[in-house]
Amino acid sequence: MEEQEHAHPRYILIWVVLLVLTLAEVGYAFMDLPKIWLAIGLVIMAVWKALLVALYYMHLIYEPKRLWVLAVSPLPLAVILVLAVITEF
Amino acid sequence: MSNAAVATMERKPMPGMKVYNKKLGMWVFLLSEVMFFTSLIGSYIILRFAHPEHWTDPGVVLNVPLTATNTFLLICSSVTMVKAFAAIQQGDVTGLKRWLLATIVIGAGFVGIQMVEYVALSGEGFLPALDAYHAVGRGNPHEGPSLGGPLYGATFYVMTGFHGAHVSIGVLCLIFVYIQAVRGKYTLADHEGVEIIGLYWHFVDLVWIILFTIVYLI
Amino acid sequence: MSTTTTSEAHTAHAEEHHELGFIRTYIFSTDHKMIARQFLFTGLLFLLLGGALAVLIRWQLGFPGQPLPGGGILPETMAPGGIILPEFYNSLVTMHATFMVFFALMPLMAGVFGNLLIPLQIGADDMAFPRLNMASFWITPVAGFMMLASFFVEGGAAGAGWTSYAPLSASGEWTGVYLGQQLWLASLIVLGFSSITGAINYVSTVINMRAPGMTWFRIPLATWSLFITAWLLLLAIPILTGGLILLLLDQTIGTAFFRPEGSGEPLLWQHIFWFFGHPEVYILILPAMGFVSEVIACRSRKPIFGYHSMVVALVSIAFLGWVVWGHHMFQSGMNPLLGMTFVVTTVVIAVPSAIKTFNWMGTLWRGDIHYDTPLLHAVSFVALFIIGGLSGIFMASAPVDIYIHDTYFIVAHLHYVLVGGSLFGIFAGITFWYPKMFGRMMNEGLGKVHWALSFVFYNLAFFPMHNLGVQGMMRRIYDPNQYEYLQSLQPTNTFISINVFIFAAVQVIFAFNFLWSLKKGKVAGNNPWKSNTLLWTTPSPPPHGNFPEMPIVYRGPYEYSSPEVEEDYYPQDRPPPQSSSGGHTVEAPNPEPVPGD
Repeated sequence: MEEQEHAHPRYILIWVVLLVLTLAEVGYAFMDLPKIWLAIGLVIMAVWKALLVALYYMHLIYEPKRLWVLAVSPLPLAVILVLAVITEF
Repeated sequence: MSNAAVATMERKPMPGMKVYNKKLGMWVFLLSEVMFFTSLIGSYIILRFAHPEHWTDPGVVLNVPLTATNTFLLICSSVTMVKAFAAIQQGDVTGLKRWLLATIVIGAGFVGIQMVEYVALSGEGFLPALDAYHAVGRGNPHEGPSLGGPLYGATFYVMTGFHGAHVSIGVLCLIFVYIQAVRGKYTLADHEGVEIIGLYWHFVDLVWIILFTIVYLI
Repeated sequence: MSTTTTSEAHTAHAEEHHELGFIRTYIFSTDHKMIARQFLFTGLLFLLLGGALAVLIRWQLGFPGQPLPGGGILPETMAPGGIILPEFYNSLVTMHATFMVFFALMPLMAGVFGNLLIPLQIGADDMAFPRLNMASFWITPVAGFMMLASFFVEGGAAGAGWTSYAPLSASGEWTGVYLGQQLWLASLIVLGFSSITGAINYVSTVINMRAPGMTWFRIPLATWSLFITAWLLLLAIPILTGGLILLLLDQTIGTAFFRPEGSGEPLLWQHIFWFFGHPEVYILILPAMGFVSEVIACRSRKPIFGYHSMVVALVSIAFLGWVVWGHHMFQSGMNPLLGMTFVVTTVVIAVPSAIKTFNWMGTLWRGDIHYDTPLLHAVSFVALFIIGGLSGIFMASAPVDIYIHDTYFIVAHLHYVLVGGSLFGIFAGITFWYPKMFGRMMNEGLGKVHWALSFVFYNLAFFPMHNLGVQGMMRRIYDPNQYEYLQSLQPTNTFISINVFIFAAVQVIFAFNFLWSLKKGKVAGNNPWKSNTLLWTTPSPPPHGNFPEMPIVYRGPYEYSSPEVEEDYYPQDRPPPQSSSGGHTVEAPNPEPVPGD
């Protein structure tokens, strides 16, 4: 099965972005901001990194769209469980 | 439908997910892994909401610089993994072996550094058990006051420990794939095994990206 | 052409297997049909063991404080002089449920029929990952052994209920059970891998290995229900695994995830457990619904009424099943506002089940019904599931649940859906598919006697439990007579116990029929029930590789009494007549090649 020819050099670019985001996260975490803004910002950066790994290293961006549906299926369940139980506290 | 049409019909399975079986199987397996880490990470989030006093500010107890470096290493191993796969896609078995070996070494290094971290943390009183917890934080005297609470220790070791176990199993599987590569089992036309161990390895990296953020930085 | 290549490959495949010895054929087999038989063996064994535990429970409730006949063989720690100790009783109720849910119902439904039906009904030669399938089976007896061993360690078997609520289950201090509880947790952690690997196989096989022409809406409902069940297993079991690990850590190394003395949260355990636990109950009923659909359509000689809505109902139940878990926790002290949302979702989930029930009735209506054993069990499923479902409506309302939670009303409900529903569904499945598995028919006379007596004594035993619950008898209780207001219920409890004993004894007829028919049953032939699915086009039992060449599918599975053919069934793989008089066009199956081929 063929892959796009431009896929190869992109891996290094993604790696650089991941490195930059990691450094940004560490820097951001120690800034003097209210906890909620720290949490939101860090989660956004983490999700961004996770998406890059999933889409490019795991090749999801090149796979049939139906595989995307499969891949994201557990996420709503995870969100429901955590959000629902947090309301207990 | 005419007999002629029937005779020319191909007896091949329906297209389905349009990816080969092993790849579909690995993705499906990874979904169950997402749910497993959800229960551990979800428990952590919930317990932290319920008892925030058990946690400290980032970096007080945990070693952020060391782990940030470790995070970077694991990301590097994802790059070496993807380069191993790219190599065999071109039929380059030598490249495959080289990049697989690099992935194995870095992956084992990640686990090693984590174990070193565990030893240091437990020496500082940061432990999972209720009765044993007496975390004094980095660089503080051992008789100092306890920082945070046992839920901090328990959730930390459970989440990072099971992640580390997954990395270790991944390293063992990579060694198996490496041996298969040495025996010439992977070719340009047939290298499914490399792709699916790659998927598992990237997933383990992805989980760590989430874990590092919410365990060490928040 | 590929047809010749495929059949050559199949022959070669089959020949190679004739070289396999006894161990590779019967013990470590990768053939899905042999694995199905293996699950059948372990499933029926644990059904027997779980039933034996139930008999002990009912002895205590029916004849409290009296020595059990033959009870002298039980050790002093369990029943000195044959009188069941309260601690042992706690283990009995815990282990009865544990054996039945995890080691009987799940293997019998998902393990047996998932393995037997899926490849054969979709036209595949085996599962997508046969060696993983073999591993998936062998994990079950290992976990089962651990669970059985827990009876014989110091402190005895787990006694905190099958739901294992913390803090009771988190520390041996309260129950006196230490190692037994840990073995319970460890056993279920291990067993989870069997379910997860099985689910990976089922999902991958159904998605990727359907024969040409087998579109999604031509898949038989049995396979549909097992496919949906596999998704539930895949996503729910790992949640339980995580929770079990946390609880095991609380028990062993002294963490406090759920222990209040360490700021742990008992309610977190309940949420984790029931987030798994509710999809679990759908795992326990959906396959049976699938079997019932197959049997009712086939034995009524009619298409299933509303096939598409049946599929939509299955999917809806699966989706909604994720957001109702809190209805098990209405009385736990949970956030009442959160509880309200669960009332709404729980009431809604009754709808798809009702749709299925009406569709079964619509299928039977004016059908040419053949009243054989599978059909009798299938119709019993529908009737008893309705009763179980109706009691569920009461529980869905949080205020009503204040009164009936943890009473025998709940015990009645769960047994109506799990025995009246799942077990009768399993009987329908076994009696229907036995010919395909073993090449012989089960004896009809014995089958009907077993059915009739089971149905009667089951209802006599379990219906009165609704009344016990409303009168205030709580569940898991060793001695209701300690409360004056429950003493008047003793005659009912004794009545129930006697009927349970008879119901249990009646199962001997089934066991005898099963074993006798293996050798003496009427030889079945390929398609004794004249069913349409691909499974019935194979010999009984099917050879390795199942089909000499991959079948081609031309229509859905429920073309019974079709006007297009003279016979009252029209198999899925029979080509339509090539008449020029313009029958409707049958769309050609999409022969797109699979990537990587």
